[in-house]
Amino acid sequence: MKLAVFELTDCGGCALNLLFLYDRLFDILEFYEIVEFHMASSSKSKEKVDVALVTGTVSTQRDLDVLREARNRSEYLIALGTCATHGSVQGSVENAKEAFRRIYGDVKGPTKVLEPRPITEYVPVDFAIPGCPYNKEEVFQVLMNLARGVEPVAKDYPVCLECKLNEYECVLLKKGIPCLGPVTAGGCNAQCPALGLGCIGCRGPSMDANVPGLVEVLKEILPEEEIARKLRTFTRW
Amino acid sequence: MIIELDEFTRVEGIGKAEIVVEDGTVKEARVKILEGPRFFEVLTLGRSYWDVPDLEARICAICYVAHSVASVRAIENALGIEVPPTVEKLRELALWGEIIESHALHLYLLALPDIFGYPDAISMIPKHGELIKEGLTIKAFGNTIRELLGGREIHGINIKPGGFGRYPREEELEGIAKHAESLVKFARRIVGIFASQEPRGAKAEIPMVTSEYLWGDDLIVGEDRIQYIELDEVPVNYSFAKHTYYKGKPIFVGALARLLLKEKYIQGEAGRLLDTYKDKIESRYVIYNNLAQAIELVYALERVAELSNKIASEGIEKGIVEPEEKSGEGIGYVEAPRGVLVHHYRIEDGKVVWSNTITPTAFNQGMMELSLLEDAKKMYGSVPEESLKKKLEEIVRAFDPCISCSVHFVKL
Ligand code: SF4
Ligand code: SF4
Repeated sequence: MKLAVFELTDCGGCALNLLFLYDRLFDILEFYEIVEFHMASSSKSKEKVDVALVTGTVSTQRDLDVLREARNRSEYLIALGTCATHGSVQGSVENAKEAFRRIYGDVKGPTKVLEPRPITEYVPVDFAIPGCPYNKEEVFQVLMNLARGVEPVAKDYPVCLECKLNEYECVLLKKGIPCLGPVTAGGCNAQCPALGLGCIGCRGPSMDANVPGLVEVLKEILPEEEIARKLRTFTRW
Repeated sequence: MIIELDEFTRVEGIGKAEIVVEDGTVKEARVKILEGPRFFEVLTLGRSYWDVPDLEARICAICYVAHSVASVRAIENALGIEVPPTVEKLRELALWGEIIESHALHLYLLALPDIFGYPDAISMIPKHGELIKEGLTIKAFGNTIRELLGGREIHGINIKPGGFGRYPREEELEGIAKHAESLVKFARRIVGIFASQEPRGAKAEIPMVTSEYLWGDDLIVGEDRIQYIELDEVPVNYSFAKHTYYKGKPIFVGALARLLLKEKYIQGEAGRLLDTYKDKIESRYVIYNNLAQAIELVYALERVAELSNKIASEGIEKGIVEPEEKSGEGIGYVEAPRGVLVHHYRIEDGKVVWSNTITPTAFNQGMMELSLLEDAKKMYGSVPEESLKKKLEEIVRAFDPCISCSVHFVKL
């Protein structure tokens, strides 16, 4: 099978995280030939691929062109990481034109700047793996499943559940630390509460998230506008 | 006529370059950073100081620890937070872990294929598998340190203003020390390989570093001690990265700059290697940034062993120091693997009201263009266009540019 990695505007983390599979990268290479992956290889091709991984947001015209090319060339397209699935940090900017002007003044820049948006708003995707960055186990499993012809399944529980399964002390209710775990998609194995810190919501919203419920609880700890800011770090609700 | 280089590969982020030729001579080289803007200076506004380092980490995955540490140092300077010495030492350890991870990634996976003439490290495996595996092992070790102290391999949130969320146990630190020692002999091998490169690129006439090895309250540029405000930042029409100059001249930050200006720190095996290759380092050609990274990788492993043992034997003071003040202004200077990184905030009532970031790749833009210009002048007309492009891309790669980080700095 042929695999390609396409990077749009992002921090490079979701592409880099693939290299952090280390030895298991070799397992993937038993099933896949990587035909394009600009961070890791100078090879470029125009061939069709079976699986495309797309990271980052559509923030410029160049990004949009690359995304359309990726969609046209691939059988199965995976939105990889919170930038691609929900917009992540740059996606929460409210008015990119105004922000651009404040940062660069009247300079034009080398390509047209668009409002930063997740790729899911421009093209249909076959599967989405959120996370800033995503859990690399998850991408490994998904790629292995696809190689065997098995359609992967999305996780549909919040981070809270993973805390409970690990028997971590609840940072929100026991320690009064703001935590977005109750409304954030699980799959990271509650990494931040494991350190005694609150979840900052890097995997985006969980299914059936009860946001008003969480806001009520957070109001005891934080002023309302701060709650709104916290919620809007990785996604626009 | 304009010679367009393709989008750079084997670098982090999206950028390209063009060479302007008029009447048969090379006139100009432009580095075009195409990565879209990410607006961090706007995103930090109005946020609680506590949340800012986690956000800033997202500027770059390859050096998130450097961003977290620069951010917490700036916040602590602003709010009068003084952390105990163990916290400082653990931060230093985390930064070394990041240098190990980042240098190993760059040297073994991104730059090495140029030396051996392959498109990527994967295609090198059949013939040079051992070397690539050694590189991956060193890289994984760097990440073990980032995970232990930063909380995750990428974008951990454990590095906080005033301390850490979770502190490492002594056995964990002793394990790190042993592991580091065992890797020195592998890293030594890569130094010799990168010492074989021919001199190329411009000369780093004005290197810039932080006043201590990994951070400091001042910047050292050439012979002067300055604050970053004394540099000039200039926006350009063809790139999302601004250019920075000192007294009208391009500066150079990164491993080569550090070895040139901080030689006295480097002891042990790394010190001996630095002596051996002194001539090359002192020739200041930017291509030797790779050699400097390789020597620094050896130094990082030796320092990690020493530092972890020291922290483990002294014992760890835990907890998080609360701020004295709610408002103030502070700067954090940190050496990211690619060089000087600046975070600067004004905080009012616990919230950031103004912020500025300048990253190493942004500092290096002018030098990168100068290097392309000089080499294009030397090669134009005497080598076929395709190999000219390839050679020029190799020069860009020697900077180990991390393009995502260069696209959002500002004076609001
Ligand atoms: S989702 Fe997060 S880690 Fe991944 S590319 Fe975007 S900012 Fe980076
Ligand atoms: S706990 Fe929350 S912020 Fe931390 S990794 Fe998981 S989803 Fe991301």
